[in-house]
Amino acid sequence: MNQPTQLLNLKPGTAGSIYAIKEMNPILRQRLYDLGVHEGSTVFMKQRGPFGGPITLECNGQLFGIRLKEAKEIEVSIC
Amino acid sequence: MSSFALVGNPNTGKTSLFNTLTTSYEYVGNWAGVTVEKKIGDLKNGGGQLVDLPGIYSLHPLSRDESVAAQYLMEETPSALINIVDASQLERNLTLSIQLLEYGRPIILGLNMMDVAANRGIHVDIHRLQEQLGVPIIPLVARTGKGSSKVLSTLKEIPAAASPELKLDYGAAEAAITDIESLLATTSCLPNHRWVALQLLAQNPVILQALSSKIDMNLVNDISKNCEEQLQQMGLPSSLPDWIRSVRTEFIEKLCSSAMDRSSQKPHNLTERLDNILTHRYFGIPIFLIFMFLLFKVTFDWIGNPLSDVLDGFISGPVSDGINKALDLVGASSFTHALIVDGIVAGVGGVLVFIPQIFILFLIISFIEDSGYMARVSLLMDSLMEAVGLNGKAFIPFIIGFGCNVPAVMSARSIEQPKDRLLTTLLIPLMSCSARLPVYALFAGVFFQSHQALVVLSMYVLGIAMALLLCKVFSSYLLKNESSVFIVELPPYRLPQGRTLMRGTWEKGKGFLRKAGTLILGGSVLIWLLSYSGPGGFGVEMNNSFLAKIGGLMAPLLAPLGFGTWQSGSSLLTGFLAKEIVVSTMNIIYHVPNMEGLQGQIAHSFTSLQAFSFMAFVLLYTPCLATVGVIRKETSSWRWTIFSIGYAVVLAYLISLIIYQGGHLLGLS
Repeated sequence: MNQPTQLLNLKPGTAGSIYAIKEMNPILRQRLYDLGVHEGSTVFMKQRGPFGGPITLECNGQLFGIRLKEAKEIEVSIC
Repeated sequence: MSSFALVGNPNTGKTSLFNTLTTSYEYVGNWAGVTVEKKIGDLKNGGGQLVDLPGIYSLHPLSRDESVAAQYLMEETPSALINIVDASQLERNLTLSIQLLEYGRPIILGLNMMDVAANRGIHVDIHRLQEQLGVPIIPLVARTGKGSSKVLSTLKEIPAAASPELKLDYGAAEAAITDIESLLATTSCLPNHRWVALQLLAQNPVILQALSSKIDMNLVNDISKNCEEQLQQMGLPSSLPDWIRSVRTEFIEKLCSSAMDRSSQKPHNLTERLDNILTHRYFGIPIFLIFMFLLFKVTFDWIGNPLSDVLDGFISGPVSDGINKALDLVGASSFTHALIVDGIVAGVGGVLVFIPQIFILFLIISFIEDSGYMARVSLLMDSLMEAVGLNGKAFIPFIIGFGCNVPAVMSARSIEQPKDRLLTTLLIPLMSCSARLPVYALFAGVFFQSHQALVVLSMYVLGIAMALLLCKVFSSYLLKNESSVFIVELPPYRLPQGRTLMRGTWEKGKGFLRKAGTLILGGSVLIWLLSYSGPGGFGVEMNNSFLAKIGGLMAPLLAPLGFGTWQSGSSLLTGFLAKEIVVSTMNIIYHVPNMEGLQGQIAHSFTSLQAFSFMAFVLLYTPCLATVGVIRKETSSWRWTIFSIGYAVVLAYLISLIIYQGGHLLGLS
């Protein structure tokens, strides 16, 4: 297994398996869980956001956007 | 009578199915959070009632629309549930299904978006799924109505059907579940006790709240704590909600690996290609602005105004002539004659000529809603919105607000944080709704003929700019607390169906026509009566009428803004009922037979600077009566409702003052 790294280090088009979700607002954590995003799930980096805005991710075929600030709290191991 | 409830994840097509199964029609769109309250309709085969609930991911609500669904399940006893499941997102959708199966009422699983799943190379083995879950599963394409007759016929048989028997083994938590069940034994009117116990242990706030007065919560807490200690000793996830979730996730993973084949799954090709352009890091926002500009070009210059001119010709020509002749024929008194022609035809007809612009605007908004672009706009706008203390999701109600502020305020329910929701609700009235459009069309048509779309666009931009500015002020001084959060689901793009667009446009436009037949009609009669009567009796010179007296009280206040006439004063006063009435009032005051005549009169009474100042004032000055009502309902606070009116009036006054006095200084009069 690869060293865990920040989700943000993923290049667009590549995927990582979530290793840890650190500091996170509880509402957001629950919502991510609802979308199937939790430790162990695979996320794809799709696109960097406009002007430092939210990034687009995909998990289980669902596209969604979250802010950079929160994306920084997610650690993945690159697949 | 039987009642059935539609439950499922957001944006899985519940309302589309509701519309095909029932005789009613509700609002549909392609983003998460379209339905924000429960809607009830009658099934087409007369088999009972169907309740459409807001979309939820789990029974644990995060936003206000979601708690509607959880509350419904706790308080009502539906004959059966219809769980809509998105076949292309099976794992995620089943998380909710498990909780619904545990609920213990008969249930049908509607496997929707079979076409989307098939296109993406996802194959679901319906028989195997049915076998393992033990409930009927019906494949569906809700948008086209495929499979809906099967749902209707299955619902007929449902009262005789047995309850689902799915029972997951929660291992170390089973003892706690049994303990809670025995606590619940004496409480009446509860859904399935095992379900309640699980929801309690999972800390579902709605269920905790509902039971707080019925059972001893300290006992529940003790049971939870004991169980969590046990979990910890066994080296398992140490919080009960996490443990319950992980048991479910494991079950779903097993189920999906046996009942679903994703080996030939393809990515969302079209969606990804479109997103590469539409949400591009640098081009995304400019593209959005270009779309907005085109929206106004189409609504005004290209299609709306030419059509509107035709309609005006028709109303002021054949229709008015016909009415005049008919009145002469029946020998109507001069009073009746004046009431109908100068009051109703002028007031209502003057607003109806703007039907083309309003319907085109609604059509374009329906297109944005149905295509999937709505969620992208919230993504694009998030940085800007974050800078002023809100989040990008608030932009969805803002866009809906361009159509009408009332549904926009409702749609703010899907915003997770209460502070963000309140802030959004308070700012929505600054979004220039379709009712303000006749005012702009009238004034821009007179004073800014060659740049109509641009001038109208400037009003919308002014509204948004003020919303952002005030958002910063309110979030820094009034509503400061936790920082906002943002997460948005991006649905696949789809080409809206003509039928859906027409229906969506008509449903929005219907409201305008209804308003024309009620509030605007009533307002016109009232205004005409006030203009016809005065302290000196009936049939007075208009300058001596009650209307002139009332409007005259306002005039000195409005003078610094450039429109200190009683005519403007009374238009603005009556415009509180509905902003279109500003135009109705002007039509009656300047009583002229058609739009051209009115434009001539207005050109005499205003300069272009005054007109611009007046337009800005109408944009900002107060939410209309209906919006005030819905703000009161959604905030449940008179204080915030009055605040929303108060700040708007002050803001309108300041901005118009700046425009008029500033313009004067620049020599623009």
